[in-house]
Amino acid sequence: MGMPETVPQFSLSVGDRVVYPNQGVCRVSAVEAKEVAGQTLTFVTMKREEDGAVVMVPQAKVHSIGLRRVASPQDVNKVFAFLKSDSDRANLDWKQRARTNLDRMSSGGIMGLAEVVKGLQVLSELRPLPTKERELYDNARHLLVSEMAASLGVTDCDAEDAIDLLLFPPGRERPKRTAEEFKRPAAEGEEDALDLSDALLGGDLELSSEAEDTEEVSEEASEIEAEQPKRGAPSKRAARPAKVASSKTKAKLAKPAKAHKVSKPVGRARAKPVAKKKR
Amino acid sequence: MIRLVTLSDYDPKQMEKLCGLLYAAFGVGCEHSKRVHPPSGAEPYDANKLLTQVETVRAYSDDKLLYLTAARLKDRPLPSGTAPTSGYAWYGRDRALVSTHGMKILEENLKLVARHSLHQLGHTWELHHCLDPRCSMYLPWTPSFSGGDAIFCVFCREKSEQKIRLAKS
Repeated sequence: MGMPETVPQFSLSVGDRVVYPNQGVCRVSAVEAKEVAGQTLTFVTMKREEDGAVVMVPQAKVHSIGLRRVASPQDVNKVFAFLKSDSDRANLDWKQRARTNLDRMSSGGIMGLAEVVKGLQVLSELRPLPTKERELYDNARHLLVSEMAASLGVTDCDAEDAIDLLLFPPGRERPKRTAEEFKRPAAEGEEDALDLSDALLGGDLELSSEAEDTEEVSEEASEIEAEQPKRGAPSKRAARPAKVASSKTKAKLAKPAKAHKVSKPVGRARAKPVAKKKR
Repeated sequence: MIRLVTLSDYDPKQMEKLCGLLYAAFGVGCEHSKRVHPPSGAEPYDANKLLTQVETVRAYSDDKLLYLTAARLKDRPLPSGTAPTSGYAWYGRDRALVSTHGMKILEENLKLVARHSLHQLGHTWELHHCLDPRCSMYLPWTPSFSGGDAIFCVFCREKSEQKIRLAKS
């Protein structure tokens, strides 16, 4: 995964279409000199195409904020090739993942956006995305779709479908992944290369019902039981104060561990039926 | 408000039920506004062209028009392949189209029509495709889509509510 892309030097003129990082496709509406606090500065005025929001940037700062031209059709083809490829490893360390994704969003270009979308989509096949990452996924997807639509001259719906034809091929369901698939070879002496704790996976899930809570605890407990015979010393997770509180979960803990418990069907934890609303 | 406009003949009772399902999902009023005639041209229709050419109905600026047709829609050739097309929408704008082609008895397939309608209307409120297979914004060409209910996941529901609130203010 190549990142970040270097921003080439370019000059802007009225009518140019550019991409403002984290904002989307803008059109340059004016390049004019203004006097600010006794200094004469040249400002580039842009209008965001999506909603017409106006932003003014001093010309000297254009490069440092990461402003770039809309991706060319050749760049879009590279993105398609990347989305089609088998690069389906997701980073399970949430801190690293968050940092990398932020860099990709701000300075990764269109390929950076594609990497965020694909990375989080693959991760969601292991377990539902936490709220923040779901928002990040939606933002990245939105920026990718709008830039691709601007680049190819198609509608947003067509651009999104073009992406999803590669990410979710027609006639096939999304695969359900297990943590094992994401496992990286552990270096020697490294005690716990893949600590699949909630913290590493970004575990601020919205599990509201009691049933879901107990299921998660029993899953965790079954993991602990499965891990203990393998390792000599008790793991960090086993040492942690258990979440077990109710009699229900205690009863579940007594049951033997199931290997398949690690992989949950995607989205089980999140969807709730839409409540009927009355205005 | 969601205005349902039919391009083919449908049972008014079924349309009423469909409006009820859309109202329940979005919390926005929905009514069957009009039956209009499709623009001349042979089936299958190009969805985008159909939305451009079709007769409009009188509506407020924040109204969404959902066109329902029994005609077949042409699959769209896209740079990455051919997209199966059972509906289409203008993203972030006011028009969406759903085809009921292949559904002989609408009553039996009303849930699926509602799910497709939610999906396309969701696009008009700037919702993107969702990762949750139970959400109506999930990919419509996946096998499990037809088995789901006409509902949104928490994320898509909150986003649509936010967009609707913004449109009202």
